[in-house]
Amino acid sequence: MEELKRTQLYDRHISADAKMVDFGGWEMPIQYPTGIIAEHLYTRRYCSLFDVSHMGRLIVSGPDRKAFLQHVVTSNVDALDVGMAQYSILPDEDGCGIDDLYIYRFEEDRYVVIANAANTDKDWDHLMKMKEGFDVTIENVSKDWAAIAVQGPTSKDILRDLIGGKQPTEPIRNYLNIATIPALDDAPVYLAKTGYTGEPIGYEIYVPTEVCGKVWDMLIEMGARPAGLGARDTTRLEAGMPLHGHEMGLDKDGNKMPIYAVPLAKFAVSFAPQKGDFIGKEALAAQKAAFLRINNHDFSDCAALPRRIQPIVLLGKGVLRAGCSVFKDGREVGYVTSGTMVPYSLMDGETLFQKVTEESQKRSIGFCYVDSDVETDDQVEVDIRGKKLAAAIPECHMKNDAPPYVRVLLYEHEDEEEQQAAADRGAAAKSLFKEALENHLWRQEACINLIPSEMSASRAVRLLECSDPSFRYAEHRKTAAFYDEEVFYYQGTKFIGRVEEALMAEMKQYLGCKEVETRVTSGQMANTCVFSALVDYKNRLDRKVEPKRLGYILNNHIIKGGHLSAQPMGALKDFAAIDPVTEKRAVVNFPVMENDPYCIDVEETKKVIEEYDPELIIFGKSMVLYPEPVKEIREFLDAQGRDTIIMYDMAHVLGLIGDHFQKPFEDGADFVTGSTHKTFFGPQRGVVGGNWDKDDKKYDLWETVQSRAFPGSTSNHHLGTQLALLMAVYEMNEYKDAYQKAVVTNAKAFAKALKEAGLNVQGDPAKGYTQTHQVIVSVGYGEGPEVAERLEQNNIICNYQATPEEEGFTASGALRLGVSEMTRFGFTEKDFAKLADLMASCILHGTDVKAEVKALRDAHLDMQYCFQDKDMVDIMDAFAKKTGL
Amino acid sequence: MNFPKELKYSKTHEWLKMEDGVAVIGLTDFAQDELGDIVFINLPEEGDEFGVDDVFADVESVKAVSDINSPAGGSITAVNEELLDAPEKINEAPYEAWLVKMEVSEEADDLMSAEEYEAFIESEK
Repeated sequence: MEELKRTQLYDRHISADAKMVDFGGWEMPIQYPTGIIAEHLYTRRYCSLFDVSHMGRLIVSGPDRKAFLQHVVTSNVDALDVGMAQYSILPDEDGCGIDDLYIYRFEEDRYVVIANAANTDKDWDHLMKMKEGFDVTIENVSKDWAAIAVQGPTSKDILRDLIGGKQPTEPIRNYLNIATIPALDDAPVYLAKTGYTGEPIGYEIYVPTEVCGKVWDMLIEMGARPAGLGARDTTRLEAGMPLHGHEMGLDKDGNKMPIYAVPLAKFAVSFAPQKGDFIGKEALAAQKAAFLRINNHDFSDCAALPRRIQPIVLLGKGVLRAGCSVFKDGREVGYVTSGTMVPYSLMDGETLFQKVTEESQKRSIGFCYVDSDVETDDQVEVDIRGKKLAAAIPECHMKNDAPPYVRVLLYEHEDEEEQQAAADRGAAAKSLFKEALENHLWRQEACINLIPSEMSASRAVRLLECSDPSFRYAEHRKTAAFYDEEVFYYQGTKFIGRVEEALMAEMKQYLGCKEVETRVTSGQMANTCVFSALVDYKNRLDRKVEPKRLGYILNNHIIKGGHLSAQPMGALKDFAAIDPVTEKRAVVNFPVMENDPYCIDVEETKKVIEEYDPELIIFGKSMVLYPEPVKEIREFLDAQGRDTIIMYDMAHVLGLIGDHFQKPFEDGADFVTGSTHKTFFGPQRGVVGGNWDKDDKKYDLWETVQSRAFPGSTSNHHLGTQLALLMAVYEMNEYKDAYQKAVVTNAKAFAKALKEAGLNVQGDPAKGYTQTHQVIVSVGYGEGPEVAERLEQNNIICNYQATPEEEGFTASGALRLGVSEMTRFGFTEKDFAKLADLMASCILHGTDVKAEVKALRDAHLDMQYCFQDKDMVDIMDAFAKKTGL
Repeated sequence: MNFPKELKYSKTHEWLKMEDGVAVIGLTDFAQDELGDIVFINLPEEGDEFGVDDVFADVESVKAVSDINSPAGGSITAVNEELLDAPEKINEAPYEAWLVKMEVSEEADDLMSAEEYEAFIESEK
């Protein structure tokens, strides 16, 4: 018998008393003394180390490296940027997987291909055979580099400590980074945010063989525990990750399984034109066609994909095992490909407040390879040692999109009861008023409101908002036949027509631009209106072909504070093109400063502009501490002769436009969009500003914006709030200098006081931490929701926020605080200093500060920066009385 | 690893203890350690009859399923039902977590003493 191979970490496993087994010719730890269940649970709760040095590490380099990989793998290697990883499959001519792979591109001039341990030799032979005609070098570096998977919620903290306090990688799946280990003479470590456990926070790291034992020991000292192949299998099963030899390759009868049988194939297979005639393309195209039909519940032709891999869960007692037959309606439909009993920790608390408990349960889950007409939620039976037991096809066994934890999904979960319609509506109506009043008085008189996207409106604004125009329509359109006069479609609109003209005049003056569109009813609608106009304008010359969408677009990544209303998953979705080369959205993000991720890196941005030649640049963020470098980028575009459109989404900072923050049109913006109720004085609406003269060649772009507002976006543009907005702009234009100055001064004072009180204030101290109305305070990874809830119980209302190093809102470790609303109620630097102390006591020591908070708020109930002379008060009193408000 | 002197052991890693003419049967410390985390067990019912070496139960760990052979012949008089919900007790205390009690009608002739069993395990490695 051939001698078993050992990894570089073999001695560590032996000295830890691991049970060693033969795995694909390697002598590997199946478990350590704590056992598979404890290892699985520790991975999900804290962090485990898996020695994955048995997996093949092949370097593909040489001039034809990309063309070669495009030919031999299923994925689109053109879509793999430097610093990124990609899941891929090595196909044969029949569209069957020889192996599944991860391809890393740490460096420009080479790809690292990670192969399954048992398949490495086979893959090597295949690649050698296919390499003829390509100028490539393939090298097996498995001996020189050890590989360790560091997986679980605390893995990021542990790795950060290992590499000297830096962020291991961007907090996004498939990102790579190269770092060094200060404690080991700066030995290099290659980090990948990838893994096989399904953990939302997990890495695979590569270190030189000479130091791998020391790295292993250090990671354990920092709190990670070793886990073996047993837990690797249970975690990957729970995560829905296929294993070659079970869910891919040959089935139990020795027949080839189509690659598209594995759900992940959807991401791993590409037919991008530049891939050319890659291996297995024809077979895969037939599989894909069948795959699309089957996913559309059309089983008329499953010849290319007769069976699929599906998750399966046993509903009764017992254990699913590979090989067990699966039956549906008495007919044998396939068999279990992998199965076992998998543990899960019980969680305590609801949604974001879930905490892992010491209690655990077990369930038997796995994969099955079943006829393609077996679908999610089908009830099946599994033959386990002669007994037919009930099982089901779940959508999945867990979700990992709510970090820091994997969230287990139990098949037989009971949904909460739905709210029923009221039985006694008269009583419900009265009770609604009672509750609405309680809420109003609580937020307006007892709470300190720090949500930066909110603002209370003045009495004047509120009264107008409720008056007659809120029940009316006033559709109107500029009409060329009448020299572009506005023509109204309804009678009774002369008053609102005058209001709208006045509103536009005031708004132009406020924004400092030549044109405004005020009919959009929200900031997000303002953005979609501009995006839609840009698409329309782009396609204006030929209306007979399918319109092209926008690309490239340069924006702020959502993790770096970018606003949802300018993201591909938000308002940009229908307007951003797909780059045919990368098959991804033609959206690229602003690089940020390494030492201050809240700040755009202008020099790096210029390089991105040169590389991608964006047609649209979108500035603006919802987590915003500084002005955006509009001027620098406009000057760069001008110097380069690029006519890129610059749009500045000022939703959060619309009320700060001026001397104390930024003047977007003076800096060179083409469009400003915004919502009128964040730093602006309300009510809740949107606005678009543009800066073209009527004789400008691009003025027709502005006219497109107008037509995308009406009839493109609204029919009724909410006349009540439009009337109220006119009052708000009067207030703003009258008081902006004092208000804006107070906001920025207060924010800086608040930040400084929070810092002095012991809190971790984000942003550059040299800039006073903030130059806007926002202050970001880090309260510990994942702690944001709980701290925000505790503050709410103390009448301080703010929102939890993920920082640029965190994965998303469920892992939020910060609070986003805004000073604008309380500034409007007269808060000064002293008041914010007092508030900072109260918040620090509550956050750091759990002190109950509700009474002090109420007292502080009670001293600031009168709204400032609005018209409140005696005549005005009399007029409002009379208006309220006569309108019955 | 622990092998109490008062027990008898089979080559298939079951232990047997005679109590008032009734055999108490379980899995040895070596067996539970080899299996790893035990997650499921199938036990017979009272009154079932088995011969020596017959499979009378099966036990599943995360890794695999294993048959349990009877170290004696006879009829089952009691089943440790607690194990059905908590099979991990076999890992925690293999000599307390008995599986079944059996009224013995046929004795096996190759059961070992603790010392012999320990030597047997060594030779199997």
